[in-house]
Amino acid sequence: MTRITSPFSRLLLWLLASLLAGCVDPYKPDVLSSPRSYLVVDGFINTQGVTTIKLSRTFAISSLPKVPAETRATAYIEDATGARYNLVESPVGIYTSAYLNLTPGRAYRLRIATVAGVLYASDFVPAKITPPLDAVDWRPENAGMGIYVSAHDDARATQYYRWEYEETWEIIPSVRPVLEFYNNAIIPIRVPYPTLCWGNERAVAIQLAKTTALNKDVVSDFLLRRLARTSERLFRRYSILVQQHALTKEEYAYWEALQKNTESLGTLFDPQPSQLTGNVHCLSNDAELALGFVGAHSLAQKRIFIERGQLPLDWPYNNGYAGCFPPDTLDPKVRVIPFFSSGYSVPVSQVPGTYLISSPDCVDCRRRGSATRPSFW
Amino acid sequence: MKQAYTFVLLLFFGLLALPGHGQQQPPKLVSGAFNHTPFGQFVGQVEAQTGLKFYFDPAAVDSLFVTVQAQSQPVATVLEQALQNTKFHFTTDNEGRVFVYQGKAIEPMVMADFLSPQPVEASDVAARPDNADLPATPTGRSRYVSAAEYKVYEIGSGGTGRATLAGHIRDLKSGEPVIGASIYSESPNVGASTDQFGAYSLTLPVGRYDLKIRGVGIKNTTRKVVLRGNGKLEIETEEDIVTLKEVVIEAEKDKNVSGMQMGLEKIDIKTMKQVPTAFGETDLLRVVLTLPGVKSVGEGSTGLNVRGGATDQNLILFNDATLYNPSHLFGFFSAFNPDILQGVELYKSAIPAKYGGRLSSVLDITTREGNKKKLAGSGGIGPLTSRLTLEGPLVKDKSAFIVSGRASYSDWILKQLNDKNFAKSSAAFYDLTAYVSHEFNDKNSIYATAYMSSDRFRLASDTTYRYLNQTASLKWRHTFNNKLYGVLTGAYSHYDYNVSSDGNKVNAYELKYSIDQPALRADFSFFPNSRHTVDFGVSSQFYRIAPGSFTPLGDKSLVTPNVLPREQGLESAIYASDRFDITTRFSLSLGLRYSLYQALGPRDVYQYAPGESRTENTLLDTLHYASGKTVATYHGPEYRVSARYSLNDRSSVKAGYTRTRQYIHQLTNTASVSPTDIWKLSDGNVRPQIGDQFSVGYYRNFKSNTIEASIETYYKSLRDFVDYKSGATLVLNPHIETDIINAQGKAYGVEVFVKKLTGKVNGWVSYTYSRSLVRANAGTPADMINGGAYYPSNFDKPHDFTMVGNYRFSRRFSSSLNFTYSTGRPITLPLAEYYVGNSLRVYYSDRNAYRVPDYYRVDLALNIEGNHKVKKLAHSSWTVGVYNLTGRRNPYSVYFKATNGQIKGYQLSIFGQPIPTVTYNFKF
Repeated sequence: MTRITSPFSRLLLWLLASLLAGCVDPYKPDVLSSPRSYLVVDGFINTQGVTTIKLSRTFAISSLPKVPAETRATAYIEDATGARYNLVESPVGIYTSAYLNLTPGRAYRLRIATVAGVLYASDFVPAKITPPLDAVDWRPENAGMGIYVSAHDDARATQYYRWEYEETWEIIPSVRPVLEFYNNAIIPIRVPYPTLCWGNERAVAIQLAKTTALNKDVVSDFLLRRLARTSERLFRRYSILVQQHALTKEEYAYWEALQKNTESLGTLFDPQPSQLTGNVHCLSNDAELALGFVGAHSLAQKRIFIERGQLPLDWPYNNGYAGCFPPDTLDPKVRVIPFFSSGYSVPVSQVPGTYLISSPDCVDCRRRGSATRPSFW
Repeated sequence: MKQAYTFVLLLFFGLLALPGHGQQQPPKLVSGAFNHTPFGQFVGQVEAQTGLKFYFDPAAVDSLFVTVQAQSQPVATVLEQALQNTKFHFTTDNEGRVFVYQGKAIEPMVMADFLSPQPVEASDVAARPDNADLPATPTGRSRYVSAAEYKVYEIGSGGTGRATLAGHIRDLKSGEPVIGASIYSESPNVGASTDQFGAYSLTLPVGRYDLKIRGVGIKNTTRKVVLRGNGKLEIETEEDIVTLKEVVIEAEKDKNVSGMQMGLEKIDIKTMKQVPTAFGETDLLRVVLTLPGVKSVGEGSTGLNVRGGATDQNLILFNDATLYNPSHLFGFFSAFNPDILQGVELYKSAIPAKYGGRLSSVLDITTREGNKKKLAGSGGIGPLTSRLTLEGPLVKDKSAFIVSGRASYSDWILKQLNDKNFAKSSAAFYDLTAYVSHEFNDKNSIYATAYMSSDRFRLASDTTYRYLNQTASLKWRHTFNNKLYGVLTGAYSHYDYNVSSDGNKVNAYELKYSIDQPALRADFSFFPNSRHTVDFGVSSQFYRIAPGSFTPLGDKSLVTPNVLPREQGLESAIYASDRFDITTRFSLSLGLRYSLYQALGPRDVYQYAPGESRTENTLLDTLHYASGKTVATYHGPEYRVSARYSLNDRSSVKAGYTRTRQYIHQLTNTASVSPTDIWKLSDGNVRPQIGDQFSVGYYRNFKSNTIEASIETYYKSLRDFVDYKSGATLVLNPHIETDIINAQGKAYGVEVFVKKLTGKVNGWVSYTYSRSLVRANAGTPADMINGGAYYPSNFDKPHDFTMVGNYRFSRRFSSSLNFTYSTGRPITLPLAEYYVGNSLRVYYSDRNAYRVPDYYRVDLALNIEGNHKVKKLAHSSWTVGVYNLTGRRNPYSVYFKATNGQIKGYQLSIFGQPIPTVTYNFKF
């Protein structure tokens, strides 16, 4: 066996290749290729304010994530005594109520009739009052910026908390072009790019806490968000709006399970997912499912701002445009018109014999946020 | 056995030819004076003078002396004179052969014995010209063994009433013990079988007996014994060379019906060698998977699910040391070199009281003892691996060694592939086994085993997986007297894995896990009389687990080290069992094992709010236990009861009840077993698992025990085995109890098994209908799975059909055909996507609500033996086979991946096309 003849070795290689490569075929069981489309209810009954409910449909996992909105449905909030509060669709798929002041402790539910006439209802849930946020604190730490929330309920009625947050921050590009490419010519820029934009992101993560193990209903310094020291959001001014929801035990369990359901399956470390529907049921057909949990509580929110000047001096500055500065120099041999016509590069300024160039993402902060100053800024 | 026919036929022809031919030939003349000359010396001289060849039993004539004077007298006359007044007679044939024997004529019993087992195959006899020049003693049989069959052994003296006969059954050529052979007397019907050391003990009324010896891979033999008192009888048996190509899957032919055991499967290495495998390599676990009641979640996985039990509920013993990962290369190969294996026993129900610590089964793997007579070797060359075994005596007949190694050369092949997909791949493994046995004297023997298997692979990525098994065991067997012997065993097991990634220097890491388990046990067997067999003993084992460490790899790595504290525990047990033959038809086996487990410090134990789902949010307190302090104690009895009632000689009914307790749990969140699964000890927050199994079976043999059939049905309930909350994180979880739940399970099924042991067509067919269901309904709704209802376990495959068939064209050619069908395993599917809470979510089905496509495979193999000359440099054989003949793409794994925002399902088939293999095996 010291020498292996060529055909034999080819056979071996083929064998090994068949072991290591295997064959990957698409897996499309019938249940996936023709999935049922279920109603999805996203939102809560705001007991002290405007209730906003999004109605949509599930879509096949193999399709692109384009959410089919459920339009022209009729929806109303109903209490245990039969009183109704109507919701109006505006815009498409989003249903809002008037400003409501619902009775704490009374049971409420959401009722929906789709345009096809299928009736849905959520379970009756007791209206809860969300206690105010005691504090949203921030602390620069070794691991970065920590943002903490604290809340309490002396009546011990809350116990289950959920938070959402929305971050806003200033964006300041490093490169400000004085030229632009327009009509196959390089001309002085007519409308300069904005020098300041505001980035905005609503958190995807589900943040939950419960105080059932404590003898007081106190949430103290719950870590809501950690930003790296080098985060571009801390470049100049940063704001976070924290929204607090008081949950029932069942709603908490729903969000906890949703938090743990991941989107991938079948690899080495993937956890076991679970089936999760919520508290919305179809009244017309027992077999028809609806997804989502409609709770009833008020909303408490608090916004804080963090200025660059409040941060430790040794924290690095990062405006998110590190790769953009200094701008590149265009090779003088390159022909200008075809080069800029592609749209991948923009002229910045003129230097002897050629131009400094940059990319649209480097010069236009509207690609990362909005140039409109938020009302609270 | 064919050689036996040749012999018998030759004898026939010889006898027929006697009256005529013997006198027609010119008489050979002999001269000489012999005065009290040993018969052997006399024969030597006669052979020298006449050219005749004498055949006789040297043992039988050892006290025969010849006194005769001859002057050119015919041989016949001289012999008549020489043998007059002795019990010996002679006969000659026309080919110059002289047979000297005892008794009045050639013993008709001999012929009857040889004729009865099988029909004569005339063509085979005709095709064996090379036998013609061999002696008339059976070809391939030592004369010595034949002699031993006719010798009358007088054992002991002066005894009255009952006496105990003990000793060993060993292989004549290699001196290895014959395990599981039975020795019995037909009247009265009393028998015993040999243990793992080949030892037996038989208690009989004093008197004269014909003891019959039957066993796997040995030739049937008998011993004539006059038992006068307690004594020893060492028995040497011959290897049944011809059965190399036969399926022999159990020991005694009527064991199916008359044996006490139910739910026991024995397979010897010869059977394993015939089952076709993907890479031509004999694979123990692959063969075990063809047995009824044994399943795995998928191809390429060697995790066994026995009767609806999880993969961690099997006690895998390699010469009495626990093995934690019995596979190579993610489960494509089992980690045992076939050349060193003696056989395997799988207990599915009625687990003997001696064993404990796992719920579902015991897989007891034993190695061969090594050739005690001469140096020998064997090996094989396959497409991915090669192996070599050397064995021989250290002190002849006293001690032997066997050393065996196997290694893959897949790494080398990968380097030859100029494919950049494989450029970052490597796959290499090896295993080594060494075994030494030494017999100090009649009473004391020691046996030492060392085993190591190692794996290292990286599949087209920068993550390298490594795992390592090491075990060692040392056994001392001491015989107190014929009725009592004991075995003291010390064993050590180690398993660790190591995952490292160095693709990105900044987050290069190393993830490690290890378990060490030293164990000490003493087992005794006591045979007070022929109706009782008592086993008792104690055992203790210590577990030390390093549950995980995540450390940076290299100077540039910024990974934060995360090292979980060690876990320790001590598991001890005492047991006693008695097998009581109440009547010849009715036997009862009663056993009790009591096990005690202590989780030991140092350890930090978390306390959770009672009545709440355990999460980090309900953590109340942390208790610290100092080193050596007991953190938690669990103990309880384990009952082992079984009974057999023989309806008649051919059929019996058996029933059993078994309770088992398990204190160590394997945490695996993936559908199949992977090397990165971790083992977790019971502690204050994780209770031990308890299993109860009831089983009833009907057993019947057909056609003089050549066809065995059985139907077994069982019901099993499992308590507190580990299941996972939705979204559990198992790796590097410091509070693993928040992610696991104690689930309840039930499993039931019917197993139908028919096997044919002899003849040109042999093999077995099994069909199993079984369900394995799990329920997690304890605690809060958050801890429930599927709303607390029973749901199918990962390995619930209701229908399972297996056929292993073997057809022997001739002595040198045989073919094997495997057919396997089973229901696809359950899977949880992502059914749809939706937006809630500002993020894309996936709507999953109930856990295990769907099934992957059914599994179905056909394999074919052709075994070609070299010629059957007994004396040649090396015996060789070729195995040519095709695995997955129909090329069906059975899914190995089904997974979902998000690509460009779309989640798509894929199924990976590992052996998606027919895979041809060639293996060359040799033995010298």
